[in-house]
Amino acid sequence: MATERSDPDRTDRLVERTESGLDSGRFPMEIINDEEVYQAELRRVFARAWVYLGHTSEFEEPGDYARRYIGEDPFIVTRDENGEMHAFLDSCMHRGAQFCTAETGNTSHFRCPYHGWTYKNDGTLQGMPHMNEAYQELDEEEIELQEANLATYHGLIFGRIADEGPSLTEYLGDFTWYLDVLFNATEGGLTVVGEPHRWEADYDWKTAADNFSGDSYHVLTTHQASLETKELELGPWEELDDYLEAAYLSCTDSHCAAYYLSEDPDTHMGYPDGIEESMHEDLTPEQRELFARSVFHFGTIFPNTSYIHGIQSGGWGGPWVCLRKWQPRGCGKTETISWWLVPEEFADDESFLDDSHSGWNSLSPAGAFESDDLTVWEGISESSGALTHELRETEGNMQQGMGGMTDLTETVDDPVYGPAETTWQGGYFDERNSRMFYQAWCEMMSGAANPEGER
Amino acid sequence: MSTQRSRPAVDPETRQRVEAFIYRETDLLDTFALEEWLDLLTDDFTLSVPVRASRDPGSEQDEFSSRSYYLREGTERIRERVGRLQKEYAWSENPRSRVRHVVGNVRVLDAEDDELTVSNNQHVFRSYGDKPDHDLLSAQRHTVLRESADGFRIADRTVYLDHTVLNTKNITLPLL
Repeated sequence: MATERSDPDRTDRLVERTESGLDSGRFPMEIINDEEVYQAELRRVFARAWVYLGHTSEFEEPGDYARRYIGEDPFIVTRDENGEMHAFLDSCMHRGAQFCTAETGNTSHFRCPYHGWTYKNDGTLQGMPHMNEAYQELDEEEIELQEANLATYHGLIFGRIADEGPSLTEYLGDFTWYLDVLFNATEGGLTVVGEPHRWEADYDWKTAADNFSGDSYHVLTTHQASLETKELELGPWEELDDYLEAAYLSCTDSHCAAYYLSEDPDTHMGYPDGIEESMHEDLTPEQRELFARSVFHFGTIFPNTSYIHGIQSGGWGGPWVCLRKWQPRGCGKTETISWWLVPEEFADDESFLDDSHSGWNSLSPAGAFESDDLTVWEGISESSGALTHELRETEGNMQQGMGGMTDLTETVDDPVYGPAETTWQGGYFDERNSRMFYQAWCEMMSGAANPEGER
Repeated sequence: MSTQRSRPAVDPETRQRVEAFIYRETDLLDTFALEEWLDLLTDDFTLSVPVRASRDPGSEQDEFSSRSYYLREGTERIRERVGRLQKEYAWSENPRSRVRHVVGNVRVLDAEDDELTVSNNQHVFRSYGDKPDHDLLSAQRHTVLRESADGFRIADRTVYLDHTVLNTKNITLPLL
């Protein structure tokens, strides 16, 4: 039993324990709230993964910018005068001062408030005060803002600090099949409307990412109060006989999703008539059928991006797409940034936008559903940091869906469900996606996969 | 000091009635007397809490979003929310928060027919469970009060938060 914390390999051992425990559906509770683990996550996960930064519809004009983060590092995402996207660290190459003063805006140049060094919105140096007198020998080409690697997939912009690693499409892997059905479902694709909800609370980013990877089981208890709406009129999709039975789970190598499907081939997520004619021509017949039968789906792109696409929300509105980022703000602290998206085809349909906004709002910090989650998650964070867990090496449980646990689920292989491993009725009875999420975490956290000199 | 003071929109007696109403109404929120609070709303009431974003200093766009709200609901859904908060498994308010509005700068901005538009500043303190820390939400409310046979009724309210990133796990009705 450890009596003091002087073990330099402690994080590695915790990762190994997590990995070996997953085979029996167990995980060390302490990884949820541990300063050393968190610091390792910043280096091993967030500096090496493709991290979501924004959607191209937020940067339509040259000069549009937004401050976004990779791990805890502040980056400025810009569209330059030639239309190219960039992400620069908000740190002047002279003395490191921050020069971005707002969350969003439009500018052709960024001027550092310290000594006035000025950069174009493509990251190159424009000049500085007294350049001719003070910097006669300066190699101007050398002065360039620190830029993250950038790649986009159907409007989703991802950034990566590490230069080495898989391409974005390799990183997303088979999961692109599901992302297509959401972010490239219609010819116009999705577009961000308005500004995101942002709120910070005391919980770990993994708790949220794991929850969105496929935890329907919590809905019955955490959201019981919201499901029992008395006065609100439920929509036709919520009174489907097969609504709960149709739940299934799927996941790919690192990224996970959960779907609710109807036998009805015309749900189309409850979008207004005409959606069928707008479907993107690149979709396969199977992808079209998945979309046409969907009533609800959600998922997590490892590490910290999640989405939820709901047809209705217990009488509280819909359909809506909510895309969110679990933004780490220190050990045990996370900011939720939650964007609202709609298909471009309906972006000017005010009546649709009203309903869609209400659905999205049910997941705001004031929302009928969301407001109960964080109360629970804050408690998880506090108690997972308990010394008792460390000293006793306590393990939590994610054994649902493992051999012998239930006879209600079945593994199915149907092209309509895509390339992932799929459990029919897995929504309430299978924690396969949580195990997959932590498997992905172990792979990025494991010493073997570390880039040089990062231990 | 400004020399261009506009004429007070209302007489002292009305001003006093407005202040008394806002103080009483706010006390109903603090004490979770939400059924009583509901009785003060008109049937066409809307509660809006717009998202506030930090924008480029040169931007002509208002900081408050015209599209995104933390909450925007009419009387029917507000009533549903009140019912929801009574349930023991509405975890956001079980245990129940201790809420205290400190209200100031109550001003009548506009008076038209039977409606008054009233602004007030507020700091809303909230503590929860047996924790020493607390949430503090700072905001300005704009409330439309309508005269009725039983006194003022609230016909509309917008809560303009002083936060771009909320420092609280959730916002429940009594905090607005």
